[in-house]
Amino acid sequence: MNLLANTSALLGKELRTEFRSRELLTTTIVFVLLVVVLFSFTFDPSATESRRFGPGLLWLAFLFAASLMLQSCFLREQNNDTLGALRLAVADPFAIFLAKLSANTLFLFLTELLMIPVFTVLYNVPLLAVLPQLALVLFLGSFGLAVTGTALSAVSAQARMRELMLPLLLLPLLTPLLIASTEATAALFDVKPALRWDWVAILAAFDVVFLTAVWLFGEYLLEE
Amino acid sequence: MTRIAVAALTVCALIGISTYAAFYVAPTEQTMGLVQRIFYLHAPCGMTALFAFFVSFIGCIGYLLKRESKWDWLAVASAETGMAFCTVVLLTGPIWAHPAWGVWWAWDARLTSTLVLWLLYISYLVLRNMVEDPNRRAQICAFYGIFAFLDVPLVYGSIWWWRTQHPQPVVFTSGGLDPTMRKVFYLSWFALMCLMALLICQRYQLEKTREEVEVLKREVENA
Amino acid sequence: MKNLGSVFAAYMIGWAVFFLFSVSIARRTRTLREEIERLNARLKDLVKQGK
Repeated sequence: MNLLANTSALLGKELRTEFRSRELLTTTIVFVLLVVVLFSFTFDPSATESRRFGPGLLWLAFLFAASLMLQSCFLREQNNDTLGALRLAVADPFAIFLAKLSANTLFLFLTELLMIPVFTVLYNVPLLAVLPQLALVLFLGSFGLAVTGTALSAVSAQARMRELMLPLLLLPLLTPLLIASTEATAALFDVKPALRWDWVAILAAFDVVFLTAVWLFGEYLLEE
Repeated sequence: MTRIAVAALTVCALIGISTYAAFYVAPTEQTMGLVQRIFYLHAPCGMTALFAFFVSFIGCIGYLLKRESKWDWLAVASAETGMAFCTVVLLTGPIWAHPAWGVWWAWDARLTSTLVLWLLYISYLVLRNMVEDPNRRAQICAFYGIFAFLDVPLVYGSIWWWRTQHPQPVVFTSGGLDPTMRKVFYLSWFALMCLMALLICQRYQLEKTREEVEVLKREVENA
Repeated sequence: MKNLGSVFAAYMIGWAVFFLFSVSIARRTRTLREEIERLNARLKDLVKQGK
């Protein structure tokens, strides 16, 4: 499985680059924290209100964080002119995408997991009981964010005003993901928590559709 | 030139006939009354917009596979035309909603999905202006065009399911269509599809002309 | 006949959008065709000078 070998090598590189400086991860976590705190000033943070608005604001915070964090994904390669070298190093350009989106999924998932205890404390919503189910929803959401965000990072890196273009391209596309993950999370935040398999299915469908699209058409984005 | 003039006149005639039918032939609906007639413009425009975006999707795939500019021209021509139809849906929606139900906007499944569709393709058109090199522009816009269209069923599906979970009293359907209404509906739809084809052709020609200018500019430089 | 104004407004706005779209394309096409004329004339001059 050449693809797997190439992907893990590139993934190793992505993770090593990030964990050397940890600047992307730290800034993203701080950003999400900031947004969550700021959002609390917009409604009365009682337990019932938090259950109602909490999931939405959490996922909006993740969406905004992702659309900022993912900009550097391909911009970094462009600035250092390493994309050509990457393309020569691997036979299948999908390996490059797979590595980057796996790394991004990991970073986003870590950020989201870290927000859960923060949210529990700030809003008095007990989430420990539903942690595994919540982790599933967070993972599927992160994956969807990473797949679309990584691909569109490659798109916006080749356009002008790229800092604004990535959110502009990404956010309308993420509407189904936002709805599905918010609804699934809201069901888990509820007084009687339950895992909504219908929304999980829509999340999974979103992930599969766009991963397939990147697999089929991604190589065209990386051409010189 | 004459062929286009004939086509344009035919489309105008079709539109005239379908508008007449919408006003005078279709019977008046029981609950909503006169204002329901907006349906004969609003609903077919929505379907035509989707079809135009589908043509754009084909153009995007065609460009990535064949690398011929004409596919890119088709992609942008049908995307812009789809946007025109989408805009009409979003403008006629509130004009229908307000007299019928007293609200300008109801987060009705179809109208909300159309709004997201509009935002998706506005981003596509903005992206087109952000890349100078024509080949690179065609390439990355083709990719985004494919992504955008793949999102469409997910958008419609998730918003519909979302609205089903949180039902709203205001609903944008026209109920069961009586046979005459159905005929007027299909006539309007046919007229609008012809209009769509005409506008796509016109916009396609613009892209083709733009390419001619670029070719000539290069020739002048080389001379 | 109430709400006739709304129905009229909707149809007028609809046709206006399509009409303006078509006119904008026609105007841009005309500008480009004028550009083509200009470039063709320039090309002819350059060829004449070259000879």
